[in-house]
Amino acid sequence: MALEHVAQGQTRFFTPGVAPDPRGILLGRFCVMTFATLEGAVSWFRLYSSEAALDELLPNLTITKCRTALGSREIVVQIPAVSSYAVDRAARLCRLVGGAMYTGTAKHFVKYRDDRSPYGYDAVDIGAMPATIDFMVHGDDFAQGYLREGELPFSRLLFRLSIRKLPGGERLGPEDRGELFLAVARGLSEGIIRYLWRNRVEAQAGLFSPGSTSAFDDHARDRGYMLIRARALPERILALFLGTPGIDVFRPAGAGAAVAVGYQHPIDLASCSSVFPAETFHVFWPNDRVDVLPGPLALSDIADLTRVDLALERPKDPRPLGGGLIESIGVELKLAAAMGPPRRVVATLIPLYHGSRLKRILFALPPVSLRGHRVAATERGFLVVGSENLDVIPLGQLLCELAPGLLIPLGMDVVPRVSSDVLARALGHQAGVVTVFTTSGRPFQVNEAAFSSLERRALAKLDVDQVAVDDYGAEPSADAQVVNDAVGRFALWGFPDAPDRKLLPGK
Amino acid sequence: MARPHVRDFLSGFVQPLVAGGELHIGAPIASADAERWEHELDDASVELAAVDDARTAVLSTLVCRPPAFVLEADDLALALGLHNALFLVHPRAEEWSVSDRVRRKIIDTALAQVSRPLTHDRTRVMARHALLHNLFHLTRNDTTVSWWTGRARFQGQKPPRRLTAWRGMRRVREDVTVIDFEELLAVPDTAPVIATLLRRTPLTQLLDAHPGAPPLHWEDAVFLLRDAELARAIGYRLVPDAAPRDQVAGAARLAAAFDQMLERTPDEADVRAVGAFLVHLAALFCFGELGLREAGAKSPLISTVLAAEAAGQRPRGLATVFALPGALALVDPRLATPPGVSSLPMLAARWAVHRTQTAELLGDAVIDALAARLRRHLRPAPRDPSVIVALPELG
Repeated sequence: MALEHVAQGQTRFFTPGVAPDPRGILLGRFCVMTFATLEGAVSWFRLYSSEAALDELLPNLTITKCRTALGSREIVVQIPAVSSYAVDRAARLCRLVGGAMYTGTAKHFVKYRDDRSPYGYDAVDIGAMPATIDFMVHGDDFAQGYLREGELPFSRLLFRLSIRKLPGGERLGPEDRGELFLAVARGLSEGIIRYLWRNRVEAQAGLFSPGSTSAFDDHARDRGYMLIRARALPERILALFLGTPGIDVFRPAGAGAAVAVGYQHPIDLASCSSVFPAETFHVFWPNDRVDVLPGPLALSDIADLTRVDLALERPKDPRPLGGGLIESIGVELKLAAAMGPPRRVVATLIPLYHGSRLKRILFALPPVSLRGHRVAATERGFLVVGSENLDVIPLGQLLCELAPGLLIPLGMDVVPRVSSDVLARALGHQAGVVTVFTTSGRPFQVNEAAFSSLERRALAKLDVDQVAVDDYGAEPSADAQVVNDAVGRFALWGFPDAPDRKLLPGK
Repeated sequence: MARPHVRDFLSGFVQPLVAGGELHIGAPIASADAERWEHELDDASVELAAVDDARTAVLSTLVCRPPAFVLEADDLALALGLHNALFLVHPRAEEWSVSDRVRRKIIDTALAQVSRPLTHDRTRVMARHALLHNLFHLTRNDTTVSWWTGRARFQGQKPPRRLTAWRGMRRVREDVTVIDFEELLAVPDTAPVIATLLRRTPLTQLLDAHPGAPPLHWEDAVFLLRDAELARAIGYRLVPDAAPRDQVAGAARLAAAFDQMLERTPDEADVRAVGAFLVHLAALFCFGELGLREAGAKSPLISTVLAAEAAGQRPRGLATVFALPGALALVDPRLATPPGVSSLPMLAARWAVHRTQTAELLGDAVIDALAARLRRHLRPAPRDPSVIVALPELG
């Protein structure tokens, strides 16, 4: 029984089914960990799940009860050797809980690397394996054969473990209270929903009956409860619920499970979410109760579940009222000085008498400065709308945008402060229309089609005395085309005599 | 045969020449008729007003307040000369009865008509430009009618209906070819008339061009650069919001004319004015890039038009446009940077980027060669009086 240290770059080994990985570490397709007791294996799962995801190991993970030739029993956990990094972690944790780690592929497993041999070990005297054993591990000074006695599925192990009470686990931070599940007895559900709704807690609720696998258990209907998913539950409400009989609070653990608040499953459930079937949702209660609900959870908003009182036996007849003017309760919209930071200037309303100044500015600016600006000549003035900050035209009333197409004077705000949607609806503002509030007079609307791009041509014909004319644009000239009229005989009387010479080039 | 009235000429030729439409070309018009028409202008107020309104509309996009003017003998003579030049490409002028001697007579008459005195008067220059602004855009539709037994070509005329009847049975096909300035006014007979005409309207030459047109003589046009409003209008027209190659085409054309000017013996003030104007155009290219996200990014315009792989396709004068600020910095630094650039930090940054990028792409040799040519015309800048000269101490 001897193990040899694997050298760097070594490629040939005595142990069957092993090869160096890219780092040169000897690795088989699988690793086996031997534990003297099941508690050791559970401890390993607990440690590993807290550090890494068990999901990547679960497809090829087996837990086997094995017997040695001497009759002793051990728990052997076989995991896939996905990479030497993952196996390094597994080996470190295995040693921590008193187990041993071996690597191989089929029947012969050799000790995994340790500090003394960083590239692993190779068993040099592998002989014929007795037919009575299933696989053999090769250690430093021994070779042990194992006979499989039975397998323990990981899911069964998971559900057999009891959740443990955490000291101080009922005090949750704001992040932990982000999403919680409430299992509410059916008699309390209506009051709890109303309570949550009154306290403006965002929540969804659904009625569930846990699935039952027992043919004798026909009281599943009685165990049904309302499951409420509450978001950002305030601390005081959480404390109230935790102290109320009939209400149990759960924290989600992964996508398909939830554990009672104040308790923790020995194995991190989030790291082994593939154990839970997609169509189920597991609720881990204290005292080893696990409810399997149909998943994903179909929940409804509690705002739609609040009670509606109907008094059909006492219909309220409409009471006739005498005639009279309906008293308006509307509030007049006004402009008031804005208190917030100044908005971006997107438009300006230039009085008509400033038309000549606008034209002079327009003729002095290079075309690139006017790119993207549009102008509409209205009875209330020239409305210039810019695509960027409209600071090149220092004229008129500067306007900023309250909502798309809704312009108010700079430094002003609409009072009462209603949302821009409500304001737009009240004004009849819609897409394709620009609505302008002015400090003097009523707001007015201009159709988007009335705008033309701001350039010299747009105001070329502007005349201050003709403000009533709305179209100031210069028409683009048509193409000039030569048309040859029919020319009959013509005389050249009055034409000067040309010198008598040929019209040859260079003459 | 009734003698034609100036009204017909104004409505049939001058009005469409200014405002667009069909320019009717008839028999050549003698100078004697032109003199008679000058007197008949008083009887054509309606047509005159229409032409002048159209000319004002043309100038309205150029200057803020177009000057007041009335069409008079000077404008009429230029229009007559153009009409007679266009008659030379009339199919009637190609017939056997129009001999070389007759053509010569018509050319001489047209030349005499367009040989009006050169002018530096602002109103006169603008009036002439408004009259002739469409010169480079004149077109003619030539129609070739082919049928099952033959074909005929009609130059600027509608084919007779008898040739286009029964299209299906006679398998009539009409092909229309658009003839432009190159074949209308740049042919040997009309070219001298048009060259003479264009010298009379330098504003048109600065604002517009055609590859077949005679080159610009900066000495005739430099006075326009001394009018700030016109110079600004020319600058903005020459730097359109277009693709990079179109954006630099106008500036390159004027710079090519500047290159030719440097080979002659121009006045030093003229060289300075044109140089300063071209430097101003280079600043406008920078101005157009103020919206770039990165202030120090290389200019996409210069990268495109001065790319080494497209060096063979550069229009004439393009290298001069971009090399001129660098060359003037060696000769007379006062002209090398447009006034006011330093007051706008973003523009100053783009200006520095342009100059660095130009020096990289063109090389110092191009800039030095241009500087050497400029030195022949520009005297060195006077010494700065603030420079303290140390006097030798008296013994």
